[in-house]
Amino acid sequence: MCRINLNKNRFTCWLLGCLLFPFLTLASDPICIRDQAGNPIRHAYVKIGSDKVVPVDSTGSFELPDNLEVDQLIEVFAMGFDARQISVKEISELSSLRLTEKIGQMGEVVVAATRTDRSVEDLPMPVTVISREQIQETGGMRLSEVLREQTGLQVVSDHGAGIQMQGLSSDYILILLDGEPLIGRTAGTFDLDRISVANIERIEVLRGPSSAIYGSEAMAGVINIITKSGRERFEASLESRYRSFSTMDLSGEVSINQNDWSVQAYLNRYRTDGFDLNPDVPGNTQAPFQATTGQVKLGKKSGNWEFRLYSRMYREDSDNVLQIIENGKERLADMSSERRDLNFNPTVTYRPNEHWQLTLRSMTSFFETHSLTEMQEDGIVVDAQDFQQRYHRTELQLDRQLGKNQLLTLGMGHLLETVDATRYEDLNRFDAGYLFLQHQWNPTDRWNIVTGVRGDLHSQYGERISPKISGMYKFSEKFSWQASLGAGFKAPDFRQLLLNFNNASAGYYVFGANLVQEGIERLQSQGLVQQLLLDPSQFGALQAESSLAINTGFRWKFSNDLLLQGNFFQNNISNLIETAPFARLTSGQNAFSYFNVSRVRTQGIELDGTWRLTSNLQVSAGYMYLYANDLDVLEQIDSGALFRKDSENRTQRVGRSDYGGLFNRSRHSGNLKISYQEPLSGINLALRAIHRGKFGFGDVNGNLILDDPSEYARAMTSWNLSLSKTFSNGILLETGGFNLLNRLNQYEPSNPGRTLFVGAKVPFHQLVNTK
Amino acid sequence: MNKWNMLPAGILLLALSTSCEENTVEEPEIELQAVTVENLHAPGDLMDRSTGEITEVRPFRYFSLEDNQMVESREGDWDIGFKGTTLIVNSGSSGPGTAQASVVTGTFDEISTVPSAADFKSDGENGLAIPTGSGNGWYNYNPSSHIISPIPGRVLLIQTNEGNYAKMEILSYYQDNPPLAEVDPRTTPSPYFTFRYLIQPNGTITF
Repeated sequence: MCRINLNKNRFTCWLLGCLLFPFLTLASDPICIRDQAGNPIRHAYVKIGSDKVVPVDSTGSFELPDNLEVDQLIEVFAMGFDARQISVKEISELSSLRLTEKIGQMGEVVVAATRTDRSVEDLPMPVTVISREQIQETGGMRLSEVLREQTGLQVVSDHGAGIQMQGLSSDYILILLDGEPLIGRTAGTFDLDRISVANIERIEVLRGPSSAIYGSEAMAGVINIITKSGRERFEASLESRYRSFSTMDLSGEVSINQNDWSVQAYLNRYRTDGFDLNPDVPGNTQAPFQATTGQVKLGKKSGNWEFRLYSRMYREDSDNVLQIIENGKERLADMSSERRDLNFNPTVTYRPNEHWQLTLRSMTSFFETHSLTEMQEDGIVVDAQDFQQRYHRTELQLDRQLGKNQLLTLGMGHLLETVDATRYEDLNRFDAGYLFLQHQWNPTDRWNIVTGVRGDLHSQYGERISPKISGMYKFSEKFSWQASLGAGFKAPDFRQLLLNFNNASAGYYVFGANLVQEGIERLQSQGLVQQLLLDPSQFGALQAESSLAINTGFRWKFSNDLLLQGNFFQNNISNLIETAPFARLTSGQNAFSYFNVSRVRTQGIELDGTWRLTSNLQVSAGYMYLYANDLDVLEQIDSGALFRKDSENRTQRVGRSDYGGLFNRSRHSGNLKISYQEPLSGINLALRAIHRGKFGFGDVNGNLILDDPSEYARAMTSWNLSLSKTFSNGILLETGGFNLLNRLNQYEPSNPGRTLFVGAKVPFHQLVNTK
Repeated sequence: MNKWNMLPAGILLLALSTSCEENTVEEPEIELQAVTVENLHAPGDLMDRSTGEITEVRPFRYFSLEDNQMVESREGDWDIGFKGTTLIVNSGSSGPGTAQASVVTGTFDEISTVPSAADFKSDGENGLAIPTGSGNGWYNYNPSSHIISPIPGRVLLIQTNEGNYAKMEILSYYQDNPPLAEVDPRTTPSPYFTFRYLIQPNGTITF
């Protein structure tokens, strides 16, 4: 089978058009192709002999031609399922034939890696797909609750629920919604709690800077959230979950597909009381908040043209109480904050023939936050912060199929970004242009190669060229090895460029790199500068952070029911941006700015195994070993220049074996998942144990690095269970809980302890159909 | 080749260390003892946190390393003074004396002699001999936990008013020298300096 093609479904039709014997005479008994749950597979097709291909009809059925030999073998295919070979004699005695789903989401289509439809098993990059069923099984409401159960992904609280991948934090991970970037980060973190999961069809996770399609932010990887699209003429459903801490999630969805038009509307409402891990201190650990998400997707097909307009809105309001200590007196303040997010994403696709495809897409986003802190007694405003970001991107993509085994993709785009915030001066604008070229090639059946290069030109940090190459060799149908090498980068963010901050009480200043020259001149004219600590010619020249990464690993399909996967990764990051003092002030304090100072290396191994013991029982396990170091710290240790304080506060020298690497990274993490369908009652059970090994939470012995046993938060395992039952009319009932053993860790402020839930889903269109 | 060179070097080192031991046996009275000073209370100026203006100026607390005791007045024979996180020496803009200081990197025990690179300074208009500010002189300030912690590996070398050299390590800014993990800046009283020092009374640069 040819694996590279512009559009899987269309290609299949074209293939069928070419190969279908026009004068087949058909036998009378239809045979239905079904999945293990008994649902018809409507995209299956049947290959008879070497040149005849018969598609199934809209009920998943096909009829055998009556002029076949009884011992002739026929093959049944369907994307996402293992192919099945059967003799004519055997199949003619059946009324339905069941196919088994490919294990471990191997058959799922992935868009994010190459911007073309490819299945997981054919991609030479480390890619995983989280399917609708897995999302459902977690019982989660927000995206963080789904991602935290995946091997190699860690949800870390830092100005919101951020994701950590391959040891790199949220700053370095691009989050896409239906292929378009989402904006709005706080201190670099994209808060995953902004995304509701009820309308997610699948989530693609691409590790490392392996794809040439993406620029800044995709240094550690890409997470692409694909929302549902209706397949039936009419669908409507209502879904609700309720759980501990008065948390409620309610979603409604309607979709209509008719006359090549499609309309899909989704509305979600979420509220929670939050929780409090430190009842002695006023205020909640997690503030109570309400959020509303709305999404409308419009689509129209017309001949060779396809038009789409996706739009999404999000708003969130939260309130909390804060304790402020002023001159030794404790006072309470009310803090309220809101977030707004709005985006429009129109796309036009033109496909003149099966060799060419042209896509023009754009994304316009608005993101803003407002927060206000007022004293409870007298209403005096302690702090008021506003942040507004506008983002617009236009991109043209051209795909050209070269013969059967090569696909060339050329893309170019422009992006415009503005930001206006309380802590930044003026309205700031950035412009960027980019170009990418990607070549997908199957030189032989065994080799699969994707090469690409992306060039970025940015008004702030100049140009960057990021080449990538990935290759996979199939030793057999069962075992393949892949390797990918890529350069990635991350542009300095707004804060690093634009911040203008003065802490009056502590007396220090922080200037973004763009303002440092101006800031130092102002401080000098005020006579506040005692000594410059750095050469002023270095000021303001902030480079993008850059990385070179390798990912290499295997997929071993031991049998149709046992899959093992492994990936080794290493990310070498240089020019890491950090704050450093650049001037000593007469007050004795420092003025800080952002500089390219450190080098970091993260490396490790991710292993995954999935074993289907019976058609009702599946066990999977995942493990990640991670080693993440600051290379400059290692150098200092080796030269004997790093010290720490012992329990009596005396200085000791730090050795290599004392160093625990970067904070907030667990050396070991993993998961174990058991999914079982009880045959009599039809109840689905999903039991998961999610383990996070000990990790450093912060410095306590004074040398700012992780090197002391007291600097570690202890390991924790969360046991999560979901039970669900789908009735024949489509109604789904579910119950379960997270963290059933109620394990708490003060260094994980996103973990509220044991949480129990109930939920229901009512598909109205199925209720109407069954009547 | 390297291996052969290593061997005689090792033997030489062994010979040297034995001869040192012999010296200490002969003259035990020369062995210097480090002194630990506990809970020197030196509150800083009072400040209005919203404006950064100082509302009440407090005096420095003066200490004589030679006599291991507090000195009442600025005009007295003191070597080092404390107020909040600021450390001064008795010279230049800070006092009438001639004391100087230099900040070096190493462990207290390993510094056996005043390094030739040590840059001794008096306090002056261009800054204090022991620089102020987080990360510059003797301490780090953690803006998220608000903890003041002595920088590990920073040793203060002080030439006293009398001209003798002393090495000094600040152990803690908090009362009773607690391990840093037990410090809560809201409840642990500060500034209470605990430090250890060792003085060479014979005027030489070896400790």
